[in-house]
Amino acid sequence: MVLAGTTVLVALPALLPGGLLNASIQMLIAALFACAYSLLAGRAGMLSFGHAAYFGVGAFATVHAMNAVGGAGLLPTPLLPLAGAVAGLGVGLVAGWFATQRTGITFAMITLAIAELLHALAPQLKGWFGGESGVSAMRMPAWGLTFGSTTEVYYLTLAWVLASVGLLYFHTSTPMGRLALALRENGHRLRFLGYDVHGLGVAIFAISAMFSGIAGGLLVVSNEAANYVVFDPGLSASVVLNTFIGGVGSFMGPAFGAALMTFFSYAVSDLTRSWLLYQGVLFVLVMMFMPSGVAGLIAATGRLVGRHGYAAIAPVAVLVVIAATLLSAGSAFVIEILQHFFSQDYRSLARMSGRGSAILLFGHAWAPAAVSTWVWPAGLLAAGAALAAVARRRLAALDRDPRPDKPGAAAQADAEQGVP
Amino acid sequence: MNDPILSLRGLRKSFGAIEIIRGVDLDLRAGERHALIGPNGAGKSTVFHLISGNSAPTAGEIVFDGQRIDGWSPQRINRLGLARSFQITNIFPKLTVFENVRIAVMRPYRLQYTFWRPLDRMARIREKTEVLLERLRLQGQAALIAGELTYSGQRTLELAMTLASDPKAILLDEPMAGMSSEETAYTAQLIREVTEGRALLLVEHDMDVVFSLSDRISVLVHGQVIATGPPSEIRGHQGVREAYLGDEAAA
Repeated sequence: MVLAGTTVLVALPALLPGGLLNASIQMLIAALFACAYSLLAGRAGMLSFGHAAYFGVGAFATVHAMNAVGGAGLLPTPLLPLAGAVAGLGVGLVAGWFATQRTGITFAMITLAIAELLHALAPQLKGWFGGESGVSAMRMPAWGLTFGSTTEVYYLTLAWVLASVGLLYFHTSTPMGRLALALRENGHRLRFLGYDVHGLGVAIFAISAMFSGIAGGLLVVSNEAANYVVFDPGLSASVVLNTFIGGVGSFMGPAFGAALMTFFSYAVSDLTRSWLLYQGVLFVLVMMFMPSGVAGLIAATGRLVGRHGYAAIAPVAVLVVIAATLLSAGSAFVIEILQHFFSQDYRSLARMSGRGSAILLFGHAWAPAAVSTWVWPAGLLAAGAALAAVARRRLAALDRDPRPDKPGAAAQADAEQGVP
Repeated sequence: MNDPILSLRGLRKSFGAIEIIRGVDLDLRAGERHALIGPNGAGKSTVFHLISGNSAPTAGEIVFDGQRIDGWSPQRINRLGLARSFQITNIFPKLTVFENVRIAVMRPYRLQYTFWRPLDRMARIREKTEVLLERLRLQGQAALIAGELTYSGQRTLELAMTLASDPKAILLDEPMAGMSSEETAYTAQLIREVTEGRALLLVEHDMDVVFSLSDRISVLVHGQVIATGPPSEIRGHQGVREAYLGDEAAA
């Protein structure tokens, strides 16, 4: 599984056009950031709302390392993210020392405050953060490679992300990694077993910040620039959303979630102005209907296949996919039409012409007031809902009629009804 | 044998204007089993919280193994060799029984910050965990999620975690609370076995257990110790009968 995934990632540059390869670099970086975040929020149970701070610090440390020594760079290009790691670790130790004095909501608020502090400070400190225009730099050739092509940058990013995710995975098996789970479960008990809970919290916070710093550094190596927008609260929010959409209970879930969401944002950024709305709606739906995220959905599907066999599940799965596609299409239709209808451009246009003009969407001009326009999304939503209902009934029928060699399967399945 | 390993001198604790502990003097001798009894609200759990570092006393001193420990942090007290259990089960509910015990066992090895070696490869810790599980007859449940154990199973796990660091003194806060009479007898025997050679301070409401298990008993009423002595003496003590045992004897 790991080998197959790695093979695909290594083969990607041969398979993808340049634009998508650039998107793949962004996906890898987002995946590493989410993995680093989930060490803190998922395994150690410390919900940070300001992780952009450590990503951003890593980014700026790397851009300055690139520009050091008269532009020759403090480190050879392939090692530049180390600067991000060191900066992330250092700032993480200090911030973590304060933040982990408290737990729960207070912890979250302290991390938010620290991130906001950096966000507010960065535009003022032009020497460090370059003001509006940011700081740019150049990738220098090193080790016989020019790092001029996207493919070379992709492989550099891939090597760093694989190594970092590998180290984070190894961390789960070490005493500190095991203690992270105990800290999430019951920090009070840990204290009465003789552990220094604050020290443990700081160490985990700093390691998470260090890998976030590497992710920030990789972004700078790829973009050859850093701007203070990396401290934007939106970045802190999206790592939280990505991690939970992917599934905070599994190791690779957050990485998948981040890669998926980054791909979507890349794919639809030209098509819609409402990406943030879609992201938010998706997050709410995931939290409501599958709180264990995409990873949980895959695991639940695996359990269903294990119980009923591929042959029984495949038609239901196809139904669910079609239903989800229809529902998404219907919702997107409504959102896009409304978004256009209420946008300022459209309003002023309508005021000038004195009547509502048609809205161009999916290569067709739709009249916003016409019944024929609204029949489409209504039809899509109704068909999707109907198919979803059929899928649900078929699944229930499967559970009522379990294979004779698996007694008790029906009862188990009932408990999982909400998951698919 | 007769030197106290833990002594409380003039211990006081107030919450606001209300004084809960009003000058407690108590000696726990090395190797003895000592029960602290008293009616509800007498302050037994508060005494445990003060000794174990959960909260700091308002006045007085606590000496453990030759050192003043009042006001110390819980982890510092634990590392000196004083471990406690809790009245309300206090475990890591979503981890396995094995992992619960292993986390308690590995503390003395100073591995808190170890991130370069996998825990599974540390054979010594694995062995010690298995020995302890076996001693408490939990080896059959080692792979279960701790939160899914029976109530008395969780109490036994709590006991295992308290013993894991091989402490010199143990404080057990109502280890039999909520158990059936069979489970109580079983747990009493288990406690007798595993606390051999250690000092034990026990808070318990089951008087049969208290009188059969203890070498000495102290009676706490309204934040003061009104009597200390062997079970026979406490049973006949007039003040104790009036303050506490009176209603039990009548029943």
